[in-house]
Amino acid sequence: MLMKIIRVLIKPFASLYEAHAVAHYRIERHSMGLSIGIIIAAAIGGLVEIAPLFTIDETVEAAPDMRLYTPLEQAGRDIYVREGCYACHSQMVRTLRDEVERYGAYSLAVESQYDHPMLWGSKRTGPDLARIGGKYSDSWHVQHLVNPRTVVPESIMPQYAFLRRAVLETQSLPGRLEALRRAGVPYKADMISSAEVDAAGQAKPDSDLADGVFERYGEETAIRNFDGQDGRVTEMDALVAYLQVLGQLTDLPESNSARDE
Amino acid sequence: MISRLTSGERSIALMLASTGALIGVLMGAFGSGDPMGVHGWIVLAFCGALILVIGNNFYDPEPSEDRTLSYYDDPTKAGLIIALSWAVVGMGMGVWVACQLAWPDFRFENAWSSFGRIRPVHTTGIIFGFGGNALIATSFHIMQRTSRARIPDQVAPWFVLLGYNLFCLIAVSGYLMGVTQSKEYAEPEWYADIWLVVVWVSYFTLYVRTLARRNEPHIYVANWYYLAFILVMAVLHVVNNLALPASFSGAKSYSVFGGVQDAMTQWWYGHNAVAFFLTSGFLGMLYYFLPKRAERPIYSYRLSILSFWGITFFYIWVGSHHLHYTALPHWVQTLGMTFSIMLLVPSWASAGNALMTLNGAWNKVRDDAALRFMMIAAVFYGLSTFEGSFLAIRPVNGLSHYTDWTVGHVHAGAMGWVAFITFGSIYTLAPILWKRAGMYSAKAVEWHFWFALAGTVIYVFAMWNSGITQGLMWRTYNESGTLKYPFIDTVVAMRPYYIARAFGGLLFLSGACIGFWNVVMTIRRAPLKEPERDYPMNSEEPQVAAVAGK
Amino acid sequence: MKEVRDPLTGHMTTGHEWNGITELNTRVPRAIWLFILVTHVWALIIWILLPAWPVGTTYTKGVLGLDQRQQVNKEIAAAERAFAERDRQIRERSVPEIMTDVSLMNYVMDTASAIFGDNCAVCHGTAASGGPGYPSLIDTDWLWGGDTDQIMETLRVGINSQHPDTRHAQMPAFGRLGVLSGRDVRLLVPYVKSLSGSDIPAEVRAAGEDLFSRNCSSCHGADGMGRLQAGAPNLTDDVWLYGGGDNDIFYTIWDGRQGWMPAWQARLSDEDRKMLVIYLQELADGERP
Ligand code: HEC
Ligand code: HEC
Ligand code: HEC
Ligand code: HEM
Ligand code: HEM
Ligand SMILES: [Ca+2]
Ligand SMILES: [Ca+2]
Ligand SMILES: [Cu+2]
Repeated sequence: MLMKIIRVLIKPFASLYEAHAVAHYRIERHSMGLSIGIIIAAAIGGLVEIAPLFTIDETVEAAPDMRLYTPLEQAGRDIYVREGCYACHSQMVRTLRDEVERYGAYSLAVESQYDHPMLWGSKRTGPDLARIGGKYSDSWHVQHLVNPRTVVPESIMPQYAFLRRAVLETQSLPGRLEALRRAGVPYKADMISSAEVDAAGQAKPDSDLADGVFERYGEETAIRNFDGQDGRVTEMDALVAYLQVLGQLTDLPESNSARDE
Repeated sequence: MISRLTSGERSIALMLASTGALIGVLMGAFGSGDPMGVHGWIVLAFCGALILVIGNNFYDPEPSEDRTLSYYDDPTKAGLIIALSWAVVGMGMGVWVACQLAWPDFRFENAWSSFGRIRPVHTTGIIFGFGGNALIATSFHIMQRTSRARIPDQVAPWFVLLGYNLFCLIAVSGYLMGVTQSKEYAEPEWYADIWLVVVWVSYFTLYVRTLARRNEPHIYVANWYYLAFILVMAVLHVVNNLALPASFSGAKSYSVFGGVQDAMTQWWYGHNAVAFFLTSGFLGMLYYFLPKRAERPIYSYRLSILSFWGITFFYIWVGSHHLHYTALPHWVQTLGMTFSIMLLVPSWASAGNALMTLNGAWNKVRDDAALRFMMIAAVFYGLSTFEGSFLAIRPVNGLSHYTDWTVGHVHAGAMGWVAFITFGSIYTLAPILWKRAGMYSAKAVEWHFWFALAGTVIYVFAMWNSGITQGLMWRTYNESGTLKYPFIDTVVAMRPYYIARAFGGLLFLSGACIGFWNVVMTIRRAPLKEPERDYPMNSEEPQVAAVAGK
Repeated sequence: MKEVRDPLTGHMTTGHEWNGITELNTRVPRAIWLFILVTHVWALIIWILLPAWPVGTTYTKGVLGLDQRQQVNKEIAAAERAFAERDRQIRERSVPEIMTDVSLMNYVMDTASAIFGDNCAVCHGTAASGGPGYPSLIDTDWLWGGDTDQIMETLRVGINSQHPDTRHAQMPAFGRLGVLSGRDVRLLVPYVKSLSGSDIPAEVRAAGEDLFSRNCSSCHGADGMGRLQAGAPNLTDDVWLYGGGDNDIFYTIWDGRQGWMPAWQARLSDEDRKMLVIYLQELADGERP
């Protein structure tokens, strides 16, 4: 009886397959036919899964308070990419209880909406960094990046002492923000044109360059001498500024998890 | 090798190399002060060397051979040697990367040697350098043999092979300078990406042109897989690498996609790099060399059809299993999970087809290490696809994701399947290409086999242990019902496994070095032997070309 | 080539041959069909139950109506309910009371140790014993006072942090800002050390005492015992946050110091912070003979 049911159920698959095999037998004699067949078969899945992410509204939440990366933070992000920090650190708190308890509210799509590319990561050799902003002090980050084992003896993270010596290249920042603007990040014209001064200003709280940063990016922006060295704006300044803003771009995640309960 | 080109072909080659050199100069000039400038000089050096080689032999006498009488194997030979060189580089980097995780200061106090920069050198070096060159080289061999036709052109295969290696070189040197788009397995920057498109289009054209000349009415299975590999990789590559350069005189670019859409696009690409590069292409290799070496017919043509279309269709859907529980909408995750399970059928159908083909040749498997490489490859292919489908189940992935379990799965596939099938194929192919009686040392093949197997097993077991341990520690609750371990405890717990992994990797690398040595010795010392009937069909009476109608 | 029968398996070939390779025309094994059936039926069931297929501007929600976010919110809420009673006790009872309640103490120690490991250990060390620039939390030397309310407040608002109520503590950069000359600072170093008991010549003491009373006593007190309201450390106990060597002390006075302790109000709940304080106290008790 069971065998019979199974046989009946299998039938449609098998006959579908027979038809397909006949078609295949014909197509396997034509390289272009075969090529077109391959492209069609392989196109469907991607279209069905990717295209709707642009059309279904609820895919990306609305966060009116979402702010942009400042030029200094974006420069730090580029350094994060350059050094391959994403090879060890994720920036994605998953919807799992232990992760929420360890790292904080689970990540929302909107939090990375201006991230080109996203840095969700695929390996956690080190802890998740999605909510690292504000968790530690600037000087701790500097110390840790210079040599992680001075603060965390068990750490296996590489040393990045050279960041503290490398003066940040800011000339290309307007071009970089412009490219991001074309990719859909709403940078305004004055943000792009003053990118260089803003980058310097954010790391020099005592200079008058700082005012423009507040004006363009909001009063919440952290304007500090991130690397603790006076005078120079280094790659360390940029990277720490970036780390300190992770998870701080919008308040939506915390309120979101509270609301849904 | 140049002397086998006609003077017309030499001119074309010289023109291509000169154009490349010119592009190199332009990149060097416009990109000065940026890593792109350094890349310009690398391009110039590469093309300059080619110009020298071509120029040096430019006025050699015209070749006199009748091209219809033989296959063109020079690029295949070069490709094999290059692939083996990349194997040593890529695996060497793998061992170094592994060592850094056990001994973090095991490096020069230098920016270029940090984990984040050399890890992609390992992945690109091994996947694209070793794997890609092996695929290109074997595909040149297989497309000619199964078509019984010579490749239509003598410049195009060199263009593909050398152009591809220029891409790999730019990629790998870029990471050391910090040039990366951060997209896993698609890290090279925009100009390298564009260059790869040019190379890839030539590759596809060359492939179809060869098939068009074939003396067999039907296209053999291996070619279906190579075609799928070439075509789908092209689509994936173009879409995932769409990016806006910050300037045309610098390397930096930004992905046109952002956030959740970028994540899905990246893993649609990332997973299918696994599917169409590391699986489809190597299945092509398996489908040719396994029956060839075993001298047995493929177990089932019908099963081949089922698994080929199954793999082509289902694989594309499953990229979202890399994003379980993330900010990617739940519905996409469900699709990724279910299709991953359905995908297991065609995957196992291929592995089964391979193993059933060996039925009746088990004595050869026992005696012949090359065939044993391929047998183990099929077994690991079955294992890693089973593991993959298992890991794609959401709750399982909740545990495994972000841990070394993934890395264990990767290397079960990458070492056990990809590298094993490649080495088996190389041991089959080298004697044929260089017209030798066999490999120089059968014993060395035997040693390589056991080193590789031991290395893989140690690696994979170490990573299973560390991955599952870490995943469990992250979610262990104490008796009071709160989290038990701080993160750093899990870092400490990984250490013994990281040391074991480095040791396993060292074994695997040693095996590869033995293999390289053996191939070189085969070329230099092994006794000559003309292979049987290794020439295009149209050079003799056509045998039976008629289709046995169905 | 003709279709031939493979002698070993008895199956027919397809009749094609590629450079010596042939194929059998074996039927697809029954097991494969069964396998397809099972996986497809399973997938179908999942699609019906869970969110799965996109349709236009929305997607099928699945008959179970589940969504990952809701699920985890529910799980966390359930966990919070399970802890509600214990949390209430932590909130409402005094620290000494809690410390005498064995079962509650087990809970506190279990919970706080992982919280400490994930949030505090990077600065204060896994054993809370501190390090250069980061105070030990298990000694009796407190910058802001050692009673539990004081420590609770420090955890809530941090020190020199971004919290609006943060505690402020600043050791001015006397040398760099030109208030004291290098000679003055060099004179102060041995004097400061002498406060913790080392012997120094009388004239150095006199000069130091003078400088100290004019510049330092406002914060550290005339006797150097420190002042809790300013976070100014006690300089007489031979416990050094920034090191007790001549060089360290020189730089402390020359360059100033401003430790930065994050505020934890937004990251850790009131109960978590209270448990941390108790945890520290318990660690400190364990340290003492
Ligand atoms: C080899 C892997 C590795 C790389 C590469 C790496 N890290 Fe780490 N990271 C770790 C480990 C392991 C830890 C945990 C131990 C510690 O705190 O040092 C860590 C910890 C951290 C922390 C503290 C997180 C916390 O919550 O305590 C930060 C911040 C951090 N890393 C930033 C970076 C940045 C920025 C880069 C790149 C410039 C980077 N890491 C590269 C492995 C790595
Ligand atoms: C970024 C580094 C950092 C982290 C993380 C950190 N602290 Fe601190 N903490 C400090 C520094 C620096 C001081 C001293 C501030 C000063 O010098 O005035 C301090 C001071 C304190 C004090 C006051 C000591 C006193 O003598 O009055 C307490 C209590 C304390 N920390 C507890 C904690 C706890 C509990 C945590 C975790 C929830 C924590 N700290 C996390 C850096 C840190
Ligand atoms: C405005 C108040 C203020 C004045 C005035 C002041 N200090 Fe301090 N001092 C502090 C504070 C606050 C700290 C702790 C800084 C920290 O923890 O980051 C400190 C720390 C120190 C330390 C480091 C203690 C350790 O454990 O490492 C020394 C030494 C010291 N002061 C000496 C002096 C001397 C000498 C003078 C006078 C020349 C002086 N201080 C004047 C506020 C002051
Ligand atoms: C000598 C042998 C090898 C060693 C020692 C080795 C070591 C490593 C190490 C240490 C990593 C990083 C893991 C991490 O980030 O935690 C890695 C990643 C990787 N390796 Fe290897 N590897 C070896 C062989 C191979 C081979 C033969 C391949 C492919 C054909 C390969 C493909 C990869 C891939 C794809 C990754 C990335 C995995 C991921 O992102 O999850 N490796 N390898
Ligand atoms: C049926 C076949 C397979 C399925 C369903 C599958 C599934 C998976 C899953 C679920 C992951 C983990 C994703 C994550 O948690 O991050 C993964 C990772 C990976 N798999 Fe497979 N796998 C399959 C076959 C293979 C094979 C044959 C290889 C061969 C080499 C391979 C290579 C990889 C690589 C390189 C990664 C790491 C990706 C990254 O994070 O960088 N997979 N696979
Ligand atoms: Ca990865
Ligand atoms: Ca790329
Ligand atoms: Cu995958």
